Amino acid sequence: MAKTSSTTKDAQDLFHAIWSAYSATPTNLKIIDLYVVFAVFTALLQVVYMALVGTFPFNSFLSGVLSCVGTAVLAVCLRIQVNKENKEFKDLAPERAFADFVLCNLVLHLVIMNFLG
Amino acid sequence: MAKLIFLILTLIPILCTSFSPDKPSDRRILVLVDDFAVKSSHSLYFKSLQSRGFDLDFKLADDPKIALQRYGQYLYDGLVLFSPTIERFGGSIDAAAILDFVDSGHDLIVAADNNASDLIREIATECGVDFDEDYTAMVVDHAGYAVSSTEGDHTLIASDDFIKSDVILGSKKIEAPVLFQGIGHSLNPSNRLVLKVLSASPTAFSANPKSKLTSPPSLLGSSISLVSVIQARNNARILISGSLSMFSNRFFNSGVQKAGSPTKHDKSGNEQFLTELSKWVLHERGHLKAVNVKHHKVGETDEPSIYRINDDLEYSVEIYEWSGTTWEPYVADDVQVQFYMMSPYVLKNLANDKKGHYFTSFKVPDVYGVFQFKVEYNRLGYTSLSLAKQIPVRPFRHNEYERFIPAAYPYYGAAFSMMAGFFVFSAVHLYNK
Amino acid sequence: MAATDAQSSLRHAFGNVLVFFILILIGVLAFSIRLFSVIKYESVIHEFDPYFNYRVTQFLSKNGIYDFWNWFDDRTWYPLGRVIGGTVYPGLTLTAGTLWWVLNSLNIPLSVETVCVFTAPIFSAFASWATYLLTKEVKGSGAGLTAALFLAMVPSYISRSVAGSYDNEAVAIFALIFTFYLYIKTLNTGSLFYATLNSIAYFYMVCSWGGYTFIINLIPMHALLCVVTGRYSSRLYIAYAPFVILGTLLASLVPVVGFNAVMTSEHFASFLVFILIHVVALVYYIKGILSPKMFKVAVTLVVSGGLAVCFAMIAVLIAMVASSPTMGWSGRSLSLLDPTYASKYIPIIASVSEHQPPTWPSYFMDINVLAFLVPAGIIACFSPLSDASSFVILYIVTSVYFSGVMVRLMLVLAPAACILSGIALSQAFDVFTRSIKFQLPSLSVDSHVDAGGASSESVGPDDTVKTDKTEDAHKERTSKKSRKKEKEPVEKPPSKSQIKKRLSVLPLETSIIAIILLVLLGAFYVVHSVWAAAEAYSAPSIVLTSHSHDGLHVFDDFREAYAWLSHNTEVDDKVASWWDYGYQTTAMANRTVIVDNNTWNNTHIATVGTAMSSPEKAAWEIFHSLDVKYVLVVFGGLVGYPSDDINKFLWMVRIGGGVFPHIKEPDYLRDGQYRIDSMATPTMLNSLMYKLSYYRFVETDGKAFDRVRRTEIGKKHFKLTHFEEVFTTHHWMVRLYKLKPPKNRIRGKIKKTKSKSTPKTVSKRKGLKRNPF
Repeated sequence: MAKTSSTTKDAQDLFHAIWSAYSATPTNLKIIDLYVVFAVFTALLQVVYMALVGTFPFNSFLSGVLSCVGTAVLAVCLRIQVNKENKEFKDLAPERAFADFVLCNLVLHLVIMNFLG
Repeated sequence: MAKLIFLILTLIPILCTSFSPDKPSDRRILVLVDDFAVKSSHSLYFKSLQSRGFDLDFKLADDPKIALQRYGQYLYDGLVLFSPTIERFGGSIDAAAILDFVDSGHDLIVAADNNASDLIREIATECGVDFDEDYTAMVVDHAGYAVSSTEGDHTLIASDDFIKSDVILGSKKIEAPVLFQGIGHSLNPSNRLVLKVLSASPTAFSANPKSKLTSPPSLLGSSISLVSVIQARNNARILISGSLSMFSNRFFNSGVQKAGSPTKHDKSGNEQFLTELSKWVLHERGHLKAVNVKHHKVGETDEPSIYRINDDLEYSVEIYEWSGTTWEPYVADDVQVQFYMMSPYVLKNLANDKKGHYFTSFKVPDVYGVFQFKVEYNRLGYTSLSLAKQIPVRPFRHNEYERFIPAAYPYYGAAFSMMAGFFVFSAVHLYNK
Repeated sequence: MAATDAQSSLRHAFGNVLVFFILILIGVLAFSIRLFSVIKYESVIHEFDPYFNYRVTQFLSKNGIYDFWNWFDDRTWYPLGRVIGGTVYPGLTLTAGTLWWVLNSLNIPLSVETVCVFTAPIFSAFASWATYLLTKEVKGSGAGLTAALFLAMVPSYISRSVAGSYDNEAVAIFALIFTFYLYIKTLNTGSLFYATLNSIAYFYMVCSWGGYTFIINLIPMHALLCVVTGRYSSRLYIAYAPFVILGTLLASLVPVVGFNAVMTSEHFASFLVFILIHVVALVYYIKGILSPKMFKVAVTLVVSGGLAVCFAMIAVLIAMVASSPTMGWSGRSLSLLDPTYASKYIPIIASVSEHQPPTWPSYFMDINVLAFLVPAGIIACFSPLSDASSFVILYIVTSVYFSGVMVRLMLVLAPAACILSGIALSQAFDVFTRSIKFQLPSLSVDSHVDAGGASSESVGPDDTVKTDKTEDAHKERTSKKSRKKEKEPVEKPPSKSQIKKRLSVLPLETSIIAIILLVLLGAFYVVHSVWAAAEAYSAPSIVLTSHSHDGLHVFDDFREAYAWLSHNTEVDDKVASWWDYGYQTTAMANRTVIVDNNTWNNTHIATVGTAMSSPEKAAWEIFHSLDVKYVLVVFGGLVGYPSDDINKFLWMVRIGGGVFPHIKEPDYLRDGQYRIDSMATPTMLNSLMYKLSYYRFVETDGKAFDRVRRTEIGKKHFKLTHFEEVFTTHHWMVRLYKLKPPKNRIRGKIKKTKSKSTPKTVSKRKGLKRNPF
């Protein structure tokens, strides 16, 4: 009993701590996070759809899911590079990071288009 | 003089066209006899041949000047061996030459007798017919012999056990039994090329009529064949008979009554039987040709070099039968075509329009590979048709699939939404302070 | 300061130019050392597989890429056909096709064959440049140049990329090294641009060779290693995660791989590590934003709750994987992981000679001196240990294991060995040249010899002018050990303010002699590589030569037979032979074959194998059912060619017996021994392969002595009843037979009687001896 109540209290404390720490992050990073959440959510939707309908056009399923996951991953990479607290990337211009991000996304979407049909 | 030259000149084209692959009936026949008495004693049979347009060339079997071919060309289109006692042929003919003659597509009629020589027996064995190894044996039938005024040893038998085939024996039923006196032979049941045309009755056996039986005879009953035909794989036809006398005028004209049967026929069935049979052997009946194999996709006329799976195609072929003088359309319902790759994937009956044109249409199966259009037609008494045309079948090209699959619309939507999101996000990210 | 800056920048510029020229020379060297076969023989395609690639490239150049993509080949694997577009790795053919097309549009009219023959040397030059780039990322440009030089000449790589060896490995090794270079570069810089390039290079690798599974397993292994050893950084995430996503997508684009990219066990490692790296990234992130106390709370919560979920998922995954009989691995991968797998289950894979484990001498033959330098390189990589050098160490360890399983994979070992040896040799040169430089009278740094130097000094006087390589290596190792020993006190916690660089300096004579010995080492390597390239690996195997007392004999029998076939048979005739010769027959003779080197249909190969092992009539039936018209047999007994069909016959029996149980291998062996002499079993003597190989062989020397098996054959006089010989080449190496058509008449049962010996009968018999068989 006590253990569970202590764990729930710990959980709540943890939750508050995370929430407060997260709110401290700058807005542009939060936008990126929102984008990531959107992508992951779409991916989950597709997985649920596939579980209902079956894997028939498997290549379309793969390309849809991988496009979402890929977008998420690339956005996370951008976030890593743009985050000012990251000491390894402090001499990387954010424009350069963004340009790389755009290039990678272009390649990703090109491949997705090819694989979709 | 000019008239003679003119006559010769007009005859030359006729002579040239007298034997061409388009007219499978043979025209020139070499008849080898033991002595020329056969020519007159069997004249009715020969006249029946000559009346149908055959040129008979009578020669003694050991005439040193006889030859089947000269300078690589065959001089005759058919061979009749009415020389059962010949030990060695004259001239350049021997067993191997005769068999080569048959293997090059020509027909053969062989008549043996109770004094048949080794050579005749050997030729018969090479063709698939085994005469009784006992040289003194004749076919004896104590219950199916021909009733005659003199008491014989029952070697003259009357048989009516014919093969059931209108193609071989003609459409008119042979009423009277056939008289036979000679040696019997047996056939290997696993040999698909030989046919028993006239079998002995179940009570017949093959043994020496002059001596008592010491051991059971090797040839018994209906397995004894009196007259057999062979259709070789190249459609050459061979007739082998165990009796020369059944071709004679005496047997043709005599009446016959089978022992144990009340009816007495005025004329034996020999003439009708042997005449109809000779028509079959000399390709005047039952000779088919298949021409004009065509296949194309439904809706097109050109023959493609490759099909795709699940295509619809049409196949047609023309089959004609030689009537002795012209090619007539062949009408049958059981001609089938196979679409074959190691096993038939499609097997369909060909419909026909009664004018010799056979056609059908079907869908190419869902398997890719190299297929063949196969028509295998083997009917009793007819030449075998074996057509095979190879055609590859390919799978779908990458752009022959459905373009947009309805079940996949959510995935398309997701991918496009990702792209839209990317645009929006990059705009926001760039212009965000 | 400015002067020294200018000086150093001038030195840098000069160094760069020098590097550039050295690289050009290395490229030229790599290209020209592979031209021996063109000089000794002719510009011809070698072996078997390259002929298929050549034929595909011809088709591509003639018909364009869409027809190539959709090509259904009906002239092979008759009657099943083969969908080329979906079963071939297109990288090589597309590369050569593009090269040919570019050259032709520039109006340089090279034929397709020339382009195909020279593709491999060109790409080996590229591969050595890629090695330079890779090693530069790991250790610096000095090591890079040395590694590039080693790769240009390493015999193992030469063996698969001589001019004429137009096979997948020719471009695949370049793609492999280049992919690794881009991965390391991404790891070092953390730039997404290089990550994109990495994925594209990986795509090129997937297009080229089935060995791409090595990359997709090595990189996750390395990522896992980094995480486990605590070297996780966000650069690792950027290097790894986009690569997995883009790489999987691009791999699925290639038709040969298709959905295997997500469904087979070969790729699961990448997905598992992908998930793991996300977890690790999340953990680090949370750790970053929370206080340590809260983090501990988070850990306990997650560990208790999340672990249960994790176990459930893993259990589901294991159940899915275990449900398939091979646990999702393909046959080839399983034969790599378990060396005994192929011989038990897949005789076709086991029968290829390239798939056998290598012998110890073959290591020395193929990578020569590098075998000694590699351990030194491994140690050099440990000091200092960076992400890049840990990758290289992992690469060498895994490739050594795989090369020990299959001799063909020595090729994957070669670049790793070159990289590590390059590092080792360049470090050694570094030490020695620095010692020399510091001991020149203009500098006064004698006092820097310390205790470590003393130990190497004790070794110094021992060294005489021996050209002993092992002593060299020993010396290098002691010098390395000494360097490491004194580096340790230097690498104390960074709290030390003074970072005094303590250099180890060896005595001048020692250094000079050591440098000379190292140069000698390199010279041995060069001599060996050139010899290997010239003598051992340049044989085109379609033309054979032998030196005898009366000069050089050339055996061009294969091409003679294929030319005969193409000139004397109908276009649609089918030729049956053992699968080794399928590609060559379709490419050179242009005839339809039944089975070829692709070996994708085991049953079809077993059918041919059964036919070769059966007596004549049964074999005729089998071949007739496959519409075969001609049978091709390779026979080396007259000239002593050891790779002929009689030597391969037992494999035909095994493979045939694997599918058709009436063929039993013990029937063909006498007391467990494979013989073809008079003690051979009747089954062996009656088999079609025996008869077709030795038909009329006794006419050559009267005794029918087989030079390969070194014995007289068992059955010498026999006739063929269902086949007839149509062609035998000049040295009897290739023999062609035609199936006789079925007999026109079927003979009756009475046996042929002997002809009566009357004086009138003229016997036309040939004087053939009656043989007891």
